[in-house]
Amino acid sequence: MTSLMAAPKRWNRALKKWPSWVVMVFVVVALVAVGATRDGGPQSAGDRVDSISRRLACPVCDGESVFESRNNASDSIRSEITAQVSEGRLGDDAIIEFIAGRFGAQVLLVPRSSGVEALVWAIPAAALVVAVAGLAMAFRRWRDEARAYPDATAADFDLVATALAESHSEQPGSDQPESDQPVPIQPESGNDGYRSDEAGQE
Amino acid sequence: MLAASLNTALGNAGLMIMLAACTFGALATAFSIRTGNLATLKQAPRYAWLALGGSVLAVVMMQRALITRDYSIGYVQQVGSSTTPPLYNFAAMWSALEGSILLWVLVLGIFTAAVAWQFRARTSDPLVGWALVVMFAITAFFAFISFGPASPFAGGPPVPIGFDGPGPNPLLQNHILVLFHPPILYLGYVGFTVPFAFAIAALITGRVGEGWLMETRRWALISWAMLTIGIILGGWWSYEVLGWSGVWAWDPVENASLMPWLTGTAYIHSVLVQERRGMLRVWNLSLLVATFALTILGTFITRSGIINSVHAFGAGDVEGYLLALFGIVVVVSLALIAWRGDRLRSPGAIDSPVSREGAFLANNVLFTLFAFIVLLGTVFPLFIEVLQNRRTVVGAPYFDRLSAPLGLMLLFLMGIAPALPWRKASGTLLRERLFWPAWSGVAAVAVSLAVGVFGLMPLLAFGLAGFAAGAALRQLVLATRRQGWRGLVGRVNGGMVVHLGVIAIAVGLAASNSFTHSAAIPLEVGTEQAWGGHTFELIAITETVDARSSAVVAEVLLDRRQVYEPAITKYLRMGMDIGTPSVRTGFTKDVYLTIDGTIRPTPGDTRVTLRVFIKPMIMWLWIGAGMMAVGTLLAAFPGQRRRLATDTASAPVPVETGTGSRDD
Repeated sequence: MTSLMAAPKRWNRALKKWPSWVVMVFVVVALVAVGATRDGGPQSAGDRVDSISRRLACPVCDGESVFESRNNASDSIRSEITAQVSEGRLGDDAIIEFIAGRFGAQVLLVPRSSGVEALVWAIPAAALVVAVAGLAMAFRRWRDEARAYPDATAADFDLVATALAESHSEQPGSDQPESDQPVPIQPESGNDGYRSDEAGQE
Repeated sequence: MLAASLNTALGNAGLMIMLAACTFGALATAFSIRTGNLATLKQAPRYAWLALGGSVLAVVMMQRALITRDYSIGYVQQVGSSTTPPLYNFAAMWSALEGSILLWVLVLGIFTAAVAWQFRARTSDPLVGWALVVMFAITAFFAFISFGPASPFAGGPPVPIGFDGPGPNPLLQNHILVLFHPPILYLGYVGFTVPFAFAIAALITGRVGEGWLMETRRWALISWAMLTIGIILGGWWSYEVLGWSGVWAWDPVENASLMPWLTGTAYIHSVLVQERRGMLRVWNLSLLVATFALTILGTFITRSGIINSVHAFGAGDVEGYLLALFGIVVVVSLALIAWRGDRLRSPGAIDSPVSREGAFLANNVLFTLFAFIVLLGTVFPLFIEVLQNRRTVVGAPYFDRLSAPLGLMLLFLMGIAPALPWRKASGTLLRERLFWPAWSGVAAVAVSLAVGVFGLMPLLAFGLAGFAAGAALRQLVLATRRQGWRGLVGRVNGGMVVHLGVIAIAVGLAASNSFTHSAAIPLEVGTEQAWGGHTFELIAITETVDARSSAVVAEVLLDRRQVYEPAITKYLRMGMDIGTPSVRTGFTKDVYLTIDGTIRPTPGDTRVTLRVFIKPMIMWLWIGAGMMAVGTLLAAFPGQRRRLATDTASAPVPVETGTGSRDD
């Protein structure tokens, strides 16, 4: 009976070992490569007009794109784009430059990446770098603080590491819901616990 | 004229009662706390009842003025019309600046009273007292704005007998969602006032532990859900009304609602770290302050007219006050945080980036960065205008380009975070827990390929969505296997249902942004046209006229089965032509029909050009929104087990709690 129960479990455990992950990686890379290189076919004229008009601002309204806007000015830009697309001589970017030349640079909906406008691209990138660096420094500080406990030595850290490793090797891949439960054993922190803490701080 | 003066007089009286009640309430409560006078402290809720009564009176009077078309009031001259149907006349209250501030005032009144009711037995607690003081102060501020600079009851210029107003903006009177989208959004905006008030109270009293967090957990959660639903209803309204077939345009007003949502989302995640580990106190306070301040800043940006937007109500006199409130909120909050800096230092440390805490931190970084980018893009044209005095536009393509990678990273986090244990995760553990979620991501990629998806970004989006959905389902399956139906309630499990909703929305957005097709199809009566796997036939062009509008309708037979009626409507008092789309909604794709161009066809004409959009998976957005709402309710439902009284949230968690990787 137990062996019957244990068989699927053992299978499950074996399945989750590294080899099947390696297979998975190959499958994913193959699938994505197929999908990313596969051609969606030539873009229809209507879709091309749409994608170009999404990148242009309606000249008389506030921040709407030509694609969204329903007024006459946008309509004339749209018919200009349609004419250019059906003529088929210019590429998307060239058509946008052509329209910007005729209606002025304020019809560009995407800021150029030159001059002051470059800031709108550079600041987010800088913010990302700062955020990641800040996070890395925080973790470094926390790790140093943890190491700074006077009563914990390198041997203690090794001990904990070994104990943790053992506890995993004892029941690896156990998919019993109790132990596999990613939620902490105390799932909901109730409203009862904080008072003593608060009292301690007063 | 008696009726007219009654509306103005009682409406103003209501606002005055509210202003007085909140001002005295704030002063009296603060004074009572300082002097320790418990008897007067007990009176605090009464000011809240009074304030609520005042705001209800003002709103009732405004509705009465709208219903009776009291044209002695300037606001009714602006938005009232004898031809507006009753429902839209009801919604006309929030169709322009003054009335929408009145709605804000009403919601604030309700929330202040609700807080006073919830804590009526604990007014002697200084934390509650100070929270009420903050609520009163903010409510007094908005009551003042509504009473003074943006008064909805101000008299208008004299009008001749028989005058009739234009009615609300036509776009605000042709879809039922106008009734729900603004009030629900305001419930979300204003709702964050409550956790903010408690955070300030915690800083003032110095009780910066987890108490205030616990008290306001549900408030934050419900406000967040209201904000979510309000935003999505706005997208739905845009889709059904505006005729460009999109749900989100990155318009400044939309961005103004998205920014507090982003920081609010970061907040409801990172509070979990504080509740469990007692850490990130300053960070959580800052997120809450940011959420509240961005609400005010967003209102300022969109109501002051400094950034133009299709949604903006036009300049009023309120911008200076809103900017002042924003400044006060930021300065006071930062000063308080600095003052309490010593108590805010948290005892613990986060051991490893690969842990539940680490995932929450990464989530916070991404959401904060997202909010920052939205803010930057929204105000950037202002900088250019100030620096170089020329107009620029930062439009949808900019936001699309930057938000897509952030969205993918967030999907990835949603996949791994539910599998991560607190404190530290090992490779073995992740390998086992992430196995099936990862394969479900692979399956999603395979299915996408099978149905013809191409391109790297959409494939990544669908694959990561599958991964995240697998992780959420795994959690729910394990929890229900263990706890039965209770495995669906509580914060963690309800949160997973919310995640599934978010994933549905992400899939819907990725699919509809990448694979929408459109074409202009010239139609003639009696001739069938085929495009995109559908057939279109013009039956007739007809006209329907009523007192407020005349609509030219193109009756189009779609797929020989059903007639759809895209229209162009002229609202007689506004003289504007408004295109109204007609949509066939389906689980996998929508067919969205509009009349092309800006020129009205003539009734009885036999030809018209139709603009047709085929948009995949739009319905997933609405389904996802419903799941998010349900999931939030499940998350707000009390979980099964309570924390033991001895296990304080702030205490450093000993290694042997059996919660970390040990039980794996």
